[in-house]
Amino acid sequence: MPARILIVEDSPLVTDAFRVLFTAVGYEVDSAATVAEAIEQATSAPVDMMLLDLSLPDGNGLEILKVLRKRGSLPRSTLAMTGHNDLASRRSCLEAGCADVLLKPVPIAELLRQIEHHLA
Amino acid sequence: MSMSDRVGSAPKKRHKALEAQAEEAQRTIDELRARDALKTQFLSNVSHDLRTPLAAIITHAEILRDGMLGELNQKQRDSVAGIVNGGQQLIDMIDEILTYVRSASDQVILARSDFNITELVDQVRSLNQPLAAKKHLTIERLNGDDLPPVYADRDKVKHVLGNLIGNAIKFTSDGGRIWIGFSRRGREREQLVVEVGDTGRGIARDHYELVFREFAQVDASPSRPHHGTGLGLAIARNLVELHSGTIWVESELGKGSRFFFTLPLNPARD
Repeated sequence: MPARILIVEDSPLVTDAFRVLFTAVGYEVDSAATVAEAIEQATSAPVDMMLLDLSLPDGNGLEILKVLRKRGSLPRSTLAMTGHNDLASRRSCLEAGCADVLLKPVPIAELLRQIEHHLA
Repeated sequence: MSMSDRVGSAPKKRHKALEAQAEEAQRTIDELRARDALKTQFLSNVSHDLRTPLAAIITHAEILRDGMLGELNQKQRDSVAGIVNGGQQLIDMIDEILTYVRSASDQVILARSDFNITELVDQVRSLNQPLAAKKHLTIERLNGDDLPPVYADRDKVKHVLGNLIGNAIKFTSDGGRIWIGFSRRGREREQLVVEVGDTGRGIARDHYELVFREFAQVDASPSRPHHGTGLGLAIARNLVELHSGTIWVESELGKGSRFFFTLPLNPARD
């Protein structure tokens, strides 16, 4: 069965681009544009990889991990994506349980390599 | 009214007038500060909002370029690669504006640590090597093998070095030289002076200050040969000053430039 990727991102343009990419390489793709939607998606079926944008309209993306941890529905792996690479936000992502933090826009070869690596 | 009353009222009036003027000046300063903060916030928001659709464009173009939706012929691949490269350049410029806005409005929090400056310089040299090689430029490190650690924000210092070396590459003609050297100063030699020099076209003495001003390029005409945000040296200055350091240039037209900046060393580890 193909791995399920959940794209958590409030820009439909970015979500569409990722959907095209992940579908092309054979992943099953779902998306959420808010913290609430992401929690709902991740609890409805197990997620293998969550790609997490940090600034969402209804809160910080890391809130999702807190809630999912309590509910025992954490994805197998989570990669955070951020527009600015500062040490403090990197640290809080790793402390919250993200496997790594990627700087947007992530070159697709690098993104696919990271996903493959963390799903292995 | 007595003579003494009249003598006393004139200075009082002048004093009141001066007070009113000072209040008015303070109001103007406050208003200008508020407007400046608003402009900074606007610039930051616009830059951030430009970044998102650009990231989507680049991802779509990369998907096409890498043949993930079917193989392209060489011409199609080259054309799509042009979209990726152009988009990436725009992202870099937007990031430069965001860095400037943050560094100019005290939004930068320094994450200081002890680190080896020569290793960092070598890393920035090798990052810039491909660009330098295109113009047959050499980038040498002259000394620095025995320096104690620098106590500073490594990423910010890397940014300063990147901007200075990038500028040197931009303004040095084919076959020229770029170098990075170190010296120490202060009563206990507690300050490190980093020099980034080049054999480029140089800067006139009148422009020594101008080059560190935001949006300033010595040649600002639309037909100027070197485009960019004009923020590289302003950012370098802000980041160096956040470390309580100073940055300056010595140059001679036609012969080259030497940019210097200071950083605190950790003498305890000397």
